[in-house]
Amino acid sequence: MRLKLRKLMDHALTAGGYLAIGGMALFLLWVLVPVFTKGFGAYVFRGTVEHRRMMLGEFNRGDLARLRAELAEVWRAREPVYRAVAAFERELDAMPAARRKALRSAFREVREGVAVLLGPEPGVPLPALTRRLYGQTRWEQAREKAADILFEETWEYSDAGSRRVLVPRAEQFEGTALAPVFDSVERDLAAMMRPRLTVYPRFLTDRSIDAHFFGGIGPEVLGTLYLSLGAMLVAVPLGIVAAVYFQEYAKEGPSVAFLRSCVNTLAGVPSVVFGLFGLAFFINTLRVSPGKSVLAGALTLALLVLPTVIRASEEAIAAVPRAFKEGAMALGAGRFRTVATVILPAALPGILTGIVISMGRAAGETAPIIFTAAVSVGQMVKPSEVLSQPTPALSWNLYNLCTEHEAVEELRHVQFGMAATLVLIVLALNLAAILLRARVARRLKG
Amino acid sequence: MLLSPGARTRRRLAELAGRGVLFGITSVAALAVMAIIFFIARDALPFFTQVGAREFFLSTEWYPAHQPPRFGAAAIFAGSLLVTAAAVLLAVPLGLFAALCMSDVLPFGVRQILKPVIEMLAAIPSVVYGFFALTVVAPLMQNAGSWLPGQFEIASGVNALTASLILAVMALPTIVSVSEDALQAAGRELREGSYALGATRAETLFKVVVPASVSGLFSAVLLGVMRAMGETMVVWMASGNAAQIPRPWYNLLQPVRTLTATIAGDMGEADQMTGSAHYHVLFAMGLCLLLVSFACNLAGEWIVARQRKRLRGG
Amino acid sequence: MNEEAKREGVHLEARGFSVFYGAHEAVCKVDVSVPCGLVTAIIGPSGCGKSTFLRAINRMNDLIPGCRAAGELLFDGQNVYGPEVDAAVLRRRVGMVFQKPNPFPKSIYDNVAYGPRLHDRCKRGELDAIVEESLVNAALWDEVKDRLHMNALGLSGGQAQRLCLARALAVKPEILLMDEPTSALDPKATARIEELIVQLRGRYTIAIVTHNMQQAARVSDRTAFFYEGNLVEFDATETLFTRPREKQTEDYITGRFG
Repeated sequence: MRLKLRKLMDHALTAGGYLAIGGMALFLLWVLVPVFTKGFGAYVFRGTVEHRRMMLGEFNRGDLARLRAELAEVWRAREPVYRAVAAFERELDAMPAARRKALRSAFREVREGVAVLLGPEPGVPLPALTRRLYGQTRWEQAREKAADILFEETWEYSDAGSRRVLVPRAEQFEGTALAPVFDSVERDLAAMMRPRLTVYPRFLTDRSIDAHFFGGIGPEVLGTLYLSLGAMLVAVPLGIVAAVYFQEYAKEGPSVAFLRSCVNTLAGVPSVVFGLFGLAFFINTLRVSPGKSVLAGALTLALLVLPTVIRASEEAIAAVPRAFKEGAMALGAGRFRTVATVILPAALPGILTGIVISMGRAAGETAPIIFTAAVSVGQMVKPSEVLSQPTPALSWNLYNLCTEHEAVEELRHVQFGMAATLVLIVLALNLAAILLRARVARRLKG
Repeated sequence: MLLSPGARTRRRLAELAGRGVLFGITSVAALAVMAIIFFIARDALPFFTQVGAREFFLSTEWYPAHQPPRFGAAAIFAGSLLVTAAAVLLAVPLGLFAALCMSDVLPFGVRQILKPVIEMLAAIPSVVYGFFALTVVAPLMQNAGSWLPGQFEIASGVNALTASLILAVMALPTIVSVSEDALQAAGRELREGSYALGATRAETLFKVVVPASVSGLFSAVLLGVMRAMGETMVVWMASGNAAQIPRPWYNLLQPVRTLTATIAGDMGEADQMTGSAHYHVLFAMGLCLLLVSFACNLAGEWIVARQRKRLRGG
Repeated sequence: MNEEAKREGVHLEARGFSVFYGAHEAVCKVDVSVPCGLVTAIIGPSGCGKSTFLRAINRMNDLIPGCRAAGELLFDGQNVYGPEVDAAVLRRRVGMVFQKPNPFPKSIYDNVAYGPRLHDRCKRGELDAIVEESLVNAALWDEVKDRLHMNALGLSGGQAQRLCLARALAVKPEILLMDEPTSALDPKATARIEELIVQLRGRYTIAIVTHNMQQAARVSDRTAFFYEGNLVEFDATETLFTRPREKQTEDYITGRFG
């Protein structure tokens, strides 16, 4: 009886363990699958004729003659819509005041919807905002905008809560000159937009247009590269020197114990506090730049990853077989020479592993760069400007785009694209570290 | 030896100089943490002299933009505490079970596959977790209110529970890998001693291995606490950012605001506000975070030292 | 059945018993009968499979990935590797003392009470009695009776090993396996353990692996000589050490290799 109970507890432990492990793996999938599948949609999607028009207009990419031919086709499908809108506008003026009042605001919504879906009507003066120069560039969004034209969204309230109800506008405008709009939008949307599978790899490097309405995430990618590379440029030499000192020179004593304890403490400082420090010290005290800059951000990030670099390098140096060192010493090499010619080369793969992981960490951090380096809107920073200019960065702009941007819902594809790109960069660096480590392990085995 | 006395002296001098340079650079790296304390404290002090600590710690009225401004941060401290505690309560049992499973249950091959999985969980940037919370978890959470029976009313998908859930996942990799190391360090001999007396695996783990590695497990939990407490982006994006103490205090379905999110969110116009009380109060919050993380560090080092002494046979 | 007959009865019997690590056969088709109530020593050069064989008896090898057994190993007539045998139940009846003393980081009392607490719901008084009896049997009682609640990690190596013995005795096993129990101890502590083995003879069936031939000669009734996974010779200790049948045995006990 007692034995049965003991066995049961044992099985409970095993099940609990599997559950915890499985839960972790599933959570990873739950995060990665939507990020990657939807993020993929920023690079490969069904692009409409408006996308091709935008590419030609903004980036001068594509074939003008072919686009012209395509636009002529598209025009045939769109013309009835524009004509119906114009006709109804005249009809509205002639209506009795009561009916006009009832229909006017709904008509304005439809007219606005048509402009958003198809872009400005040829021949009318061009709008000032770039985002209004083109219609919907992505097919799935075109369909959503079409639905906005076809249906009026209302809310039905009851005790159980509220419920969304879609009322077809066609009923409201039945018998008027506007009625053909709903028919054509419902029937000919594909002909109006001509969706086609589009591969847009240059999303990664293109400049953004009108705060990410069009174009790519080039400035963010570049900023992230500047910041993480800059951080490593500072952290790696400092970290390796400190690791060499701790492993090869330091004699255990109170001062070394204190320095070690300082490094441990640095590892535990919350990342947002690094940001505060960067602002107070690098910008407000040292004045390395007039305001936020890539330089200040990189210095801050360097401090953040320093403990990781030191620890990884220390481990790598400690793993170098003593025989190597003693062999060099026996040949009469001084300590410095031994370190430079024997220990560091032997520890290099291990040190590299730490560096690669730290770089991934620096690339993904957000809090330390908010006050020191990141701006929400900005173009590519030239290499000559890194000492004085702030930069957009993937991590910060992902935050900004999904919380503070005026068109959060419409730019989901850009947000997912940024998230997927950032995760891909970081995971690629981690994968590199894992492979490096496997190589080191193999080599140490013989 | 073969070197002349002069050359030997020169060589020793060079060695000494090199050593000095290395020590200097190492000190710069290590003493950065001192600089952090100093500069955070320097910019925090004006707040305490101008406004005083009483309002900061005791009042819940956080109206930094009003005239006159009020800087009562008690609700924000409570928010940090609540979110961290909930995350740790979720992550610790899960992490311990996972670590036990990794160290004693799973075959070696499976463990080798799982390690990268855990590393990947740790490597995903916090802003991506925040984005995930906002776009995937929060809508689910919002809808959950209508499926669940009873008095659940979930006003918004961004609340303390969403933030805690994600924070727990972020603290898990640290907890799992540090605990697994600690469990492994307990050694095979100890396990065999227990099995040989007829103990099952669960009994061996809970009665012998876990007590033997309790200090390592404790530092794993401490590291998890520090990770959850210091995290910024996820709580900023997913906790709702309302400076209020939930009612009742354990109601995780209400939005809260944390120290880290307040610092990140309010420092937005840092350039313009340098020198104002609002600027300094954020440094005061940073100082509090810094002090708590020091306390955790010290506690961790103390536990490790005590354990070392005990194993030596004290 | 008279006392002598029981003592000569077979307590443990291997028939064509093998142990594999992956594809490597560490113990090859061994046939051996361990008599009841006597001390059986297993000797042989390191890596000969003697420890592996010992650990197979209480299925300690189950814990090593890739390790499996073949053939029959009968304990009181029942196959140890039979599907109906539970390792935890088996290990209660087959106690073990390891090469390195491995006291749990608990008090001396809790170390000894660990086994009984697992298997039975004992009352405090009963438990106290078991702990005292086991420590007395392990000749440790007089040294620790005033500090039972001190951490066992504070004991010396010899004391710790006797504590491990007491811990094994506390669950009242029928067989006691000892895997080089004195190899980590100084000569004085070794002598005490050997004394104890002699005292326990008759009450328990004891199998002891040792690399020390003098020790085998001093404490055991029977000796088995293993070489490269094979059982080369198994005989009364005196016979094996004075008139070995096999050339390999003679070479080993005269120190020509090993």
